[in-house]
Amino acid sequence: MSRFFAGGSSDSETSSSDEELYSESEEEKSEEELSEEESEEESTEEDESEAESSDEDHAGGFLKAGAKGSAARFLRGEESEESDEDESRRVVKSAKDKRLEEIDAIIRTIDNARKINDWVHISNEFDKLNKIIAKASQQGDTPKTYIKAIAELEDFMNETIKTEKDSKKKMNATNARALNSIKQRIKKNNRQYEDLIAKFRADPDGFVNEVDEILEPVAPVKLRKGADFEAAAAAIRPGVGANAEDTSDAAFSTIGRGGRTITITSESIFKQLRAILEARGKKNTDRAEQIRNMEKMLDVATTIYQKIRVLLVLVATRFDLTTSTASFMPVNQWKSAQEEVSKLLEILEQNPLYVVQEDAEEFDDDDEEEPTPKDGMTLKIFGSIISLVERLDDEFTRSLQNIDPHTPEYIDRLKEESVLYSTIIRSQVYFERVRLESSVSRVLVRRLELLYYKPELLILSVEKSTWSGLPKSLESAITPRSEDEDVDASRLINAICVKLYNQDNRLFRTRAMLCHVYHHALHNRYFHARDLLLMSHLQATIHTADISTQILYNRTLVQVGLCAFREGMISECQQALLEICGTGRVKELLAQGIQMQRYAQTSPEQEKIERQRQIPFHMHINLELLECVYLTSSMLLEMPFMAQSGSSPDAKKKAISKPFRRMLDYHERQVFTGPPENTRDHIMQASKALATGDWAKARELISAIKIWDLIPDTDKIKAMLGEKIQEEGLRTYLFTYGQFYETLSIVSLASMFDMSEGKATALVSKMISNNEVAAALDQKTNAVAFIPGVEYSRLQNLALALSDKAVQLIDSYKYR
Amino acid sequence: MPSTTVSYDLVPRILPYLDRLLIFALLEHLSEQKLYPADALLQAKYDVMKDTNMTDYVSETYKSIHGADATVPEEITERRRVVLEKLDEFEKKAEKALEIVRNPEVVNALRSDRAQNFSYVKDNYGVTTEMVNTLYHYGQFQYNCGKYAEAAELLYHFRTLSNDSELVISATWGKLAAEIMTLQWENAVAELVKLKELIDQKTFADPLVQLNHRTWLIHWALFFFFNAETGREKLADLFLSSAYLNAIQTSCPWVLRYVTVTVLTSRNARKTSAGRSSTYATYQKQIRELVRVIKQERYEYSDPVTEFVYALYIDFDFEAAQAKLAESADVVKTDPFLVGSADEFLESARHLVSELYCQIHQRIDIRDLSTRLNLSAEEGEKWIVNLIRDTRVDAKIDFSEGTVIMNHPPQSVYQQVIERTKGLSFRTNQVLAHMLTTRNATATVNGEEGGEAQE
Repeated sequence: MSRFFAGGSSDSETSSSDEELYSESEEEKSEEELSEEESEEESTEEDESEAESSDEDHAGGFLKAGAKGSAARFLRGEESEESDEDESRRVVKSAKDKRLEEIDAIIRTIDNARKINDWVHISNEFDKLNKIIAKASQQGDTPKTYIKAIAELEDFMNETIKTEKDSKKKMNATNARALNSIKQRIKKNNRQYEDLIAKFRADPDGFVNEVDEILEPVAPVKLRKGADFEAAAAAIRPGVGANAEDTSDAAFSTIGRGGRTITITSESIFKQLRAILEARGKKNTDRAEQIRNMEKMLDVATTIYQKIRVLLVLVATRFDLTTSTASFMPVNQWKSAQEEVSKLLEILEQNPLYVVQEDAEEFDDDDEEEPTPKDGMTLKIFGSIISLVERLDDEFTRSLQNIDPHTPEYIDRLKEESVLYSTIIRSQVYFERVRLESSVSRVLVRRLELLYYKPELLILSVEKSTWSGLPKSLESAITPRSEDEDVDASRLINAICVKLYNQDNRLFRTRAMLCHVYHHALHNRYFHARDLLLMSHLQATIHTADISTQILYNRTLVQVGLCAFREGMISECQQALLEICGTGRVKELLAQGIQMQRYAQTSPEQEKIERQRQIPFHMHINLELLECVYLTSSMLLEMPFMAQSGSSPDAKKKAISKPFRRMLDYHERQVFTGPPENTRDHIMQASKALATGDWAKARELISAIKIWDLIPDTDKIKAMLGEKIQEEGLRTYLFTYGQFYETLSIVSLASMFDMSEGKATALVSKMISNNEVAAALDQKTNAVAFIPGVEYSRLQNLALALSDKAVQLIDSYKYR
Repeated sequence: MPSTTVSYDLVPRILPYLDRLLIFALLEHLSEQKLYPADALLQAKYDVMKDTNMTDYVSETYKSIHGADATVPEEITERRRVVLEKLDEFEKKAEKALEIVRNPEVVNALRSDRAQNFSYVKDNYGVTTEMVNTLYHYGQFQYNCGKYAEAAELLYHFRTLSNDSELVISATWGKLAAEIMTLQWENAVAELVKLKELIDQKTFADPLVQLNHRTWLIHWALFFFFNAETGREKLADLFLSSAYLNAIQTSCPWVLRYVTVTVLTSRNARKTSAGRSSTYATYQKQIRELVRVIKQERYEYSDPVTEFVYALYIDFDFEAAQAKLAESADVVKTDPFLVGSADEFLESARHLVSELYCQIHQRIDIRDLSTRLNLSAEEGEKWIVNLIRDTRVDAKIDFSEGTVIMNHPPQSVYQQVIERTKGLSFRTNQVLAHMLTTRNATATVNGEEGGEAQE
């Protein structure tokens, strides 16, 4: 939102910044209050001995609530479908009535709950109510009963808080918490309906009586409020019932509520536009109505200049519709906005003499004469297409964040990515043509971020379909349209990235670099990815970057690790994944869902911010697969290492992978271990099998894991893993049982681990050469001869450790 | 075989990083090898030399390409005239400056401080900056004419006087090239070290420039291979210093072949120098470093030479190593830089193989080892006897069975502890001395009070 406004027109900027200031101060206040409340709450919790148990209850309740919630969602989904059917079959009224009934029912339950002072219940019902209202108000009406209910609720709440303060600790912890949270929500919610509530308070009875008759899409209260608000706006307000459009080109007339006729003519467009712009950001502006007006204006606009101006304001206003950061723009609005941006771009393409850019002068609309390009000079119009495109992208992402990814709705929404992509390419062509360098890089970043996580084939098909949808005349210098079949997606990514590396914005360079690395890693080019990542030196500076870039960095790192795994480079994989998977906060680090932390309480604000960072579902990296890969590679490294360090005193301290050790410990402590059920069980049991040298069982267990199917070339991966398990099994065996042998024939060793003698010899040689085992090969008998008597006593071990430490100490001294 | 050696030929990759005249030297070398068709090389030589000032040579080459009767193109004769004129001009201009710097009195008075030198000659003999710079340009010109000795002298004088760091660097480059061309290896090594220091010390605005400088230096250093003895050790140090290793990894991984050969052969050079045990340790360290880099860069670059090291130290596959060694013998023998060190390389490689072999085996079949080393049984036995004598490994030959029995005594724990703590007391004293001096220094800075406070 703020980014959008930063590039927006100047008058909107001032008004919006006012608004922001206002809301910020409000938030601060509420935060202060909150902290006060929290401290109070803590003190009560300390007093109460059952606080803990109630906490547990709460946790249990949460689980149940989760289950119930999903069920409820499912049910509701069905219900809404039903109502949709209703709508199509019968009149619109019935659906509305139904909703009204629902609202009434909820209000009644709230009333009941109020009587017994059950705030948990109230909180739940209130949420439900707001959801329905949100649905209802998207169609334009806010029932009066609702206003009445929330006003009363607020009063009651204030009262309760007051009595609560007077008569110390009466409520139990859960109830108090519910009260606190609902307090925040009511405050925020009621702010939206401030004037209506005020009206209700002034005249409760009269207000409610009005209720039944007013169910028209546009509330007259609002109309009346608007009337004294802006004269010019009033002049163009169309009536509700009289949408009959006049078909004449130049003007059409609508009949206002008061029976007045208002006309929109092409002459008065600028005046009206200005009125709308001035009303922007102020309260009580009916944006939906403004949009309808502007849609009509667009129909009557005759000149190119008029069209461009109207479109610029119209799209911006559409984005204004959703002010709150939690919800997303309605899909139909987004679609219209997208269409209008495309239209705008099309107009600009067809009329190359008109240019929209951010540093253009504004024209005085009061002039009789409308500006037109003179003598082949381009006409610069004030406006920012890049911010419109960026906002379009942002809103798209936000809607994906909010829609449940397991519904067809999500897929439908995802399909619209292609239109978004084509708009982005189109705007890129435009920016290239008018040489808006900064906009070019901004749009390229957007484009790159839509592409980088896709596999090559998908990128190619997206590219192809997008370009075929665009007019033939469009061509981009940076990413040329490719006609031939053997195009390379990597080349496209490379072209975009190189362009971004050569511009000044550091953030864009960083993001381009990360996307590039991700792309390489996704296509199994491990060394390219690694070299690029190392060359960027991002590891040193990434913690100073903004959070979304850090998330991208984490994603990239994980992808590089997975790539190393696919290529069979186990230790590289383990190293890359260690940082992310070792923390136990994978979900948070990858922004793929909100992780419940056991001890830390996150405030609703924090949670909200976190929710906004979430990566849309279709971009997720499969977490279960990630864990499986990490644990498997940890196993392959840890098992020989553990066998090697055996009884030495610091064996426990030097762990390659702490989480793996923890899980293994937990697994070993279990009295009875059943057959493996999940991925983790499989890996743990395989580890135990490997530790005893039973590599065949380990391999069987590992390849029984189902999640490998998600990796392309599953068989290859399994074969690779089988081979690694053989090798590591042999090493583990030698470490564990070496001391019990005097000689061990290579032939039997090779047959034991089902590998060629040459390979077994090579492995043993390597271990001998690295001083891992005290042994030597005997060529005559073709056997490994273990050299006895090298087990050190505890004192000797400690002496060695001490000498090591002393050397380290002296090495760490810095001569300055 | 020729096809494989051509495919491993690095000359095309190296050429972009060399000076024109160095390329000429390389081409001369190539024409002796007969790896490439002679006329193509001649043409290449002509193309290289066309823009230099060695006009006489150019016209000669031209004639040998197009037949003795062919008339030399106009531009070359024209150029020859211009060159001669310029030469005269420079001679006149530089006369005075040269006279002064060759004056024994002046030579004695000059020190290592350049600024001081310059002010000295300026005050006493009226030398100006322009005159000094003339020396540089004259030197460059001489170099382009192929008069390397003169060029080296001029640049030497220039360097003692000039303050312009840019020009000093490029003069050093010039001098290095001139020394290489005149085969003055001792001087060249000195120049190489100097240049390395200059590049490392200078702060470059763009790291890429520094990288390029290093890359050039690495390539120029390859010419030391023409000379068998001098500078091998220095070269190994240069290649394996972290900055240069990075440069090799990023911009020219193919140099790894030369790094490998340098490191492996430096063993012999070290053996002659004093203090065998310590140098052997560094040799081991260098090998480890080399193995690490080869492993890392394997996807970027590999040839039989690096593959040999890979097979030996990473796969421990002696058979593969043997095959690679045979292959790399061909590669090394046809590489223009390495041909001189080929035997040395093979010798060192055999040493490595047998050393590793002995390390991990208890009983070795002599015949088997001989085939590993590409030797006959007889030779192999001799080789092993020499090895046992040279390296004093604890081994005996069992003649009846035809085996060598290695005795690997486990290193006693006392020995290990002694080994590790050997240098500790010396280093502790060092640290103590250092601490005392720094404390005194800070004490004098802080005055009496600061010193007391520290106590």
